[in-house]
Amino acid sequence: MPAKVVKLEAPADNFAFRVYLVEVVKGMVRTLGHLLRNVVPIFVAEGKKLAGNGDGSVKGMPIVSFPEARRDYSERFRGRHILKTRDDGSLKCVACYMCQTACPADCIRIEAGEHPVLAYEKYPTVFEIDMLRCVMCGYCVDACPKDAIWMTKDYELAFFDRKSAIYGIPMLTEKPSDTAADGPGYGYRPYYGESPARKAGEFEPSGLPLLPVLEARGAAINRMPPPPPPKPA
Amino acid sequence: MSALASAPSSSLTYAPVLDKRFGPKARIEARPAKDIATITLTDRSAYIEVARFLRDDPACAFDLLLDLVSIDLLNAPAPLRPRDGSRFQLHVILYSTRRNDHLRLIVNLPEQNPRVPTLVNLWPAVNWFEREAWDLMGIEFEGHPNLKRLLTHNGFVGHALRKDYAAGQRWLCTEEDLLQTDLAAQTETPEDIFETMTVNLGPSHPATHGTLRIVLRLDGETIVAAEGECGYLHRCFEKMSESHTYSQVIPYTDRLNYCSPMINGFGYARAVEDMLGVEIPPRAKAIRVILSEFNRIMDHMVCIGTNLVDLGALTNFWYAYQAREAIYGLLEACCGARLTSSYARVGGLSADVPPNFDEWSRSLFPIIKTQLDDIDGLVSKNRIAHKRMRGTGIVSRENAIAWGFTGPCGRASGLAYDVRKDKPYEGYDELDFDVPVMTDGDNFARYYVRMEEMRQSLRIIDQQLRKLPKGPVTTDDYRVILPPKEMVYNEMEGLIYHFKVVFEGTKVAPGYFYSSVEGGNGELGYTIVADGSGNPYRLKVRPPCFPLFAAYEKIIKGGMVSDAVATLGMLNIIAGELDR
Repeated sequence: MPAKVVKLEAPADNFAFRVYLVEVVKGMVRTLGHLLRNVVPIFVAEGKKLAGNGDGSVKGMPIVSFPEARRDYSERFRGRHILKTRDDGSLKCVACYMCQTACPADCIRIEAGEHPVLAYEKYPTVFEIDMLRCVMCGYCVDACPKDAIWMTKDYELAFFDRKSAIYGIPMLTEKPSDTAADGPGYGYRPYYGESPARKAGEFEPSGLPLLPVLEARGAAINRMPPPPPPKPA
Repeated sequence: MSALASAPSSSLTYAPVLDKRFGPKARIEARPAKDIATITLTDRSAYIEVARFLRDDPACAFDLLLDLVSIDLLNAPAPLRPRDGSRFQLHVILYSTRRNDHLRLIVNLPEQNPRVPTLVNLWPAVNWFEREAWDLMGIEFEGHPNLKRLLTHNGFVGHALRKDYAAGQRWLCTEEDLLQTDLAAQTETPEDIFETMTVNLGPSHPATHGTLRIVLRLDGETIVAAEGECGYLHRCFEKMSESHTYSQVIPYTDRLNYCSPMINGFGYARAVEDMLGVEIPPRAKAIRVILSEFNRIMDHMVCIGTNLVDLGALTNFWYAYQAREAIYGLLEACCGARLTSSYARVGGLSADVPPNFDEWSRSLFPIIKTQLDDIDGLVSKNRIAHKRMRGTGIVSRENAIAWGFTGPCGRASGLAYDVRKDKPYEGYDELDFDVPVMTDGDNFARYYVRMEEMRQSLRIIDQQLRKLPKGPVTTDDYRVILPPKEMVYNEMEGLIYHFKVVFEGTKVAPGYFYSSVEGGNGELGYTIVADGSGNPYRLKVRPPCFPLFAAYEKIIKGGMVSDAVATLGMLNIIAGELDR
């Protein structure tokens, strides 16, 4: 490809330019055009009693009337974290310290303990994320080998003091504000990528029901009642 | 002009000349294919002589100084450490605009009293780079006109980038800032002290668009003397990256030039990939190009929009930000954040683009084009804009080269250097686009070049979208990047790779490397020194607006304060990148 350099010249200093008034009129036409394009739909919408969501937002107008209306974020939005749970309500996390290691901001603290259900082996007795240190990079989600931590679309995180910015397990297991199951409230999650080994329908992402699998293999399962839900810190 | 016209020189044409002149004093090193040529000085005393030769000899003609990298090799592994046991090393990164060629000049300095003569008389651009090396590494530059701290406070103790300086130390800096008195002492006659006035522009001033400070000495409204100061946003990026793995550095890069965050991440990832010899899949390359160009549009939109506000034209600001806002939506859908993107990974991208990427990108075209045309219509033939921007802040081509200008500001001064054309990467050589150049070198030229560059960016995106290849977006070398999740969840081998990458990081063989991309403001270069571990041993960024801001005090001298504001905006100084 031959290199191409275009030499630009500043617009010429002609009569219309020096008169100034021509350009003023042209400019007014442009800005008034914007004004009309923004204002006319409002009157049209008023006539229809704002059939939409009633938040005053009008199609085509580059405005989000926060907080009545909210911007739509994608399925990858990196907001507050959420610790995923198994069907029985226990944390999927096995306290392997991967997210703590991967975190560039050093904001995750985990303490591991032995789980009452033998098959679950290890679980975090303490799992804290310092939201004031967190840079919302999503590296913890990428690093988790158990699909145990996702992020949500909750982004309004405000605190009165530094202590309340440290989220423990109760805060981190809270479902995102507008969600049902894997619904719209969830944000950044593991990326499965393209792999030659992957075939359609063959792979169940995460949440492998561990106990039935082990039972089918004939392992002795210590059937203890599921652990009590973690107490608020 | 000539830089683009000449073909890239692959062989070292100047090697015989250099050898004849200096013999064993300057040794040409064998380098990996993708790195730049290297000359190591075995005799420190020949430093200035060799540097002058490299600049003046027609076979070399390295007229543009890009970067000065200082490295502390304390406890470095053997392959890095020079044979004579020197502790410090300086890399001078040079570029020849005539021959389109990069070069690295290495000089080793002893542990005791590391001193070297200054290069200011050869390349004025080195002034601030040497101040930075003195500030952070404690290397003394003999004959430097103004060797004082740059990024840290006057009261700072020690040199932070030395390996024996522990990170996380805190100093209470109470010492009075001396800039104002320094500048007062520069007056030529005692009478000036009464007739002139010293004024602070910044650090918190609406026209600085970031925290940076310029001390002006004014005679009425005319600037008699000026001195820029930066460092208010210094976040120790380079020091911190030494204690993080190669992939953990990526979130830090988003905060360099926050107007075009993705370009920084892509540039960094590419530097590490080139160093590792990893090739990323074509789809990842294409996506990087598309998103880089969208980021470039955002960067230019912010620059033009905010600068026109400083000139009193508020309307354009709304138009420019509307286009930027629309682009942010797309970026967020790709990476999950509007500004702190962290989308790049060493070895690809963090995720594939959303399924409707093509339509979404194309739906942005009319928005961007409309806003561009509106700004163009309101400003380009506006007599007030012309009065404010034409003939102010003039930088000639010679000065632009001497002061280390690259990017749109360099091209506005007639320096037709664009990394995308002259050192193509990620498949830019297969795309058809123009490099707009103007010769006026004033603020209007900077504005006009940026407007045209945005149109060219749209052209690039359009072409690249048309031939967006299918396939994976990450390499399948799992020593570099995390393996696909089903391998991690279901296979032992995948899990082992996953653990190795997270806990140890990607291991890069010992050595050094320079790699650059065209950032929003010019050549964004990364020098990486690796010691074989998972963390960079030393990482140095060449922020494109660092030389721009260093030259700012010279550009505005003799002009009016209001012109200084217009110039500051059109140089587009981004404090996050300036201070790192």
